[in-house]
Amino acid sequence: MTMPAPRPPPPAAPRGLKPPPVVEFRKVSVRFGAFTAVQDITFAIDDVPEKGEFITLVGPSGCGKSTILNMIAGLLKQTEGDVLVGGLPVEGPGRDRGMIFQQYSSFPHLTVLNNVLFGLEINAGELGMDAGARRDRAMQFVEHVGLRDHHHKYPHQLSGGQQQRVAIARSLAVMPRILLMDEPFSALDEPTRLEMQELIVALWHKVHPTVFCVTHSITEAVYLGERVWVMAAGPGQIVVDIRENIPPTVGVPPLVAQERQDFKDAVRVVTETFRKVSEKQFPAVR
Amino acid sequence: MPKWLTEIRGRVPLGAAIALGVVPIVVMAGLWFWLTSGPVEERHVSPTILPSPAEVARSVPDLLKRDLWLNTWASLKRVSLGFLIGIAVAVPIGIFMGSFGSARAVFNPVMTASGYIPIATLVPLTMSWWGTDEKQKILFLAMAFGIYLLPLTVKAIDGVSEVYLRTAYTLGATKWQAIRRVLVPIALPDIWHGMRLAFGVGWTYLVLTEALVIVDGLGALVQMSQRRGPREHIYLVIVVITIVAWVFDLVWERIGQVLFPYKRRPA
Repeated sequence: MTMPAPRPPPPAAPRGLKPPPVVEFRKVSVRFGAFTAVQDITFAIDDVPEKGEFITLVGPSGCGKSTILNMIAGLLKQTEGDVLVGGLPVEGPGRDRGMIFQQYSSFPHLTVLNNVLFGLEINAGELGMDAGARRDRAMQFVEHVGLRDHHHKYPHQLSGGQQQRVAIARSLAVMPRILLMDEPFSALDEPTRLEMQELIVALWHKVHPTVFCVTHSITEAVYLGERVWVMAAGPGQIVVDIRENIPPTVGVPPLVAQERQDFKDAVRVVTETFRKVSEKQFPAVR
Repeated sequence: MPKWLTEIRGRVPLGAAIALGVVPIVVMAGLWFWLTSGPVEERHVSPTILPSPAEVARSVPDLLKRDLWLNTWASLKRVSLGFLIGIAVAVPIGIFMGSFGSARAVFNPVMTASGYIPIATLVPLTMSWWGTDEKQKILFLAMAFGIYLLPLTVKAIDGVSEVYLRTAYTLGATKWQAIRRVLVPIALPDIWHGMRLAFGVGWTYLVLTEALVIVDGLGALVQMSQRRGPREHIYLVIVVITIVAWVFDLVWERIGQVLFPYKRRPA
């Protein structure tokens, strides 16, 4: 195994100046043995107070979309380069970076409300909230995701869409600065998926974390994201960052948005780019 | 001919299932009556080998006079105590092994090897360690339970999906919180199921140790009945053990349903 050369920690941003980026990658590579999952990923997402960006990642399978999410989450360590969140190197997972998976992840032994309470309870000391405040916050998020009448149910009594609602409420309840979503709606049927897309855009607008969402659906990427990153495989790289042509969709149901001309144009641009990327017609960005 | 009769995984209607289940009982009972009918000298099988149903029934009061209930109680106490000690040792080690690769590396060879130990050989071994008193019986049972439960506990922890752990970590859980609030509670219904199986198997171990050193207990009753008679009591005690074990199994199941309401019941 090769050990990455130790690097000095990045200099902290001087006070009173621009805050450090929410997430910054500096020439990040991940290798599993001889296989290079992602190579030389470099980007920085500016920290705008009270306003997180919604970034969706698309690309052919094996391009390292999930790898990027896992590194931000602290579940995977890069082989080379720096992964910084809020200017500090990521050392492991933390509640400032919530994550929602494709697999249903509601804790089976806890009711809906207690699932949402989970993050608040384990961080009770740091959050400085008493039991009543925690319960109120949890209930508020249960209501945000429309599960008020189901708050006492156990996950096995819920549908797939409801289980993902639990996961969303649970992640947002601890008010993460960053929300990572790894194909969160891929296991759902189409009508449920559209419902969830509308819900997550509405909640993002309300809570405003910085969101990174991996999806294999271009329509979903254009609907959810403000920016769409198209990635290439072998090795994984972010090659195109599309942000100009993506129409805002807050408050617009997916089926309505999809009928609009600017939406259709955006889908066409992303699809074209995706196709060219797959045919290796693009050099890596930066 | 109905399809369920020969179909692989065919669904047999409830009525037919009950009728089919009664068949072997009727056949065996019929065979029993037929083999043991008539005067003692003319029977197909001698009453010392197989007493007739009537003889077995007539010997019930005698069995009760042999302190059946006290012996049952003695056995139950032993099984329960051995069980509790076995759980207290095996379950924490199992949770530890399931949670940490290093703990697994330490205990895995011992666990794998212990799975191949014929449990019966532990009876004379424990006798040489602890003599023939109560301590030997309880500690033997504890060992047998521990050997049975340890791999089941490890497997239960292994069975908890990685996604729950990852979720817990991204919500800010520490390692200890991940074990205590995620791994263990999610694995608990499976661990409970393992305990239930172990408790059922435990009666086998119990008779083994009670029959080797005859003091009291149901195993001792069986062994004494074999040596001194009446042979009828062997059959009766087997029935008693079956009923007690079955009742406890039902109790385990009921408690499990109360403790783990979130456990999806098999459809």
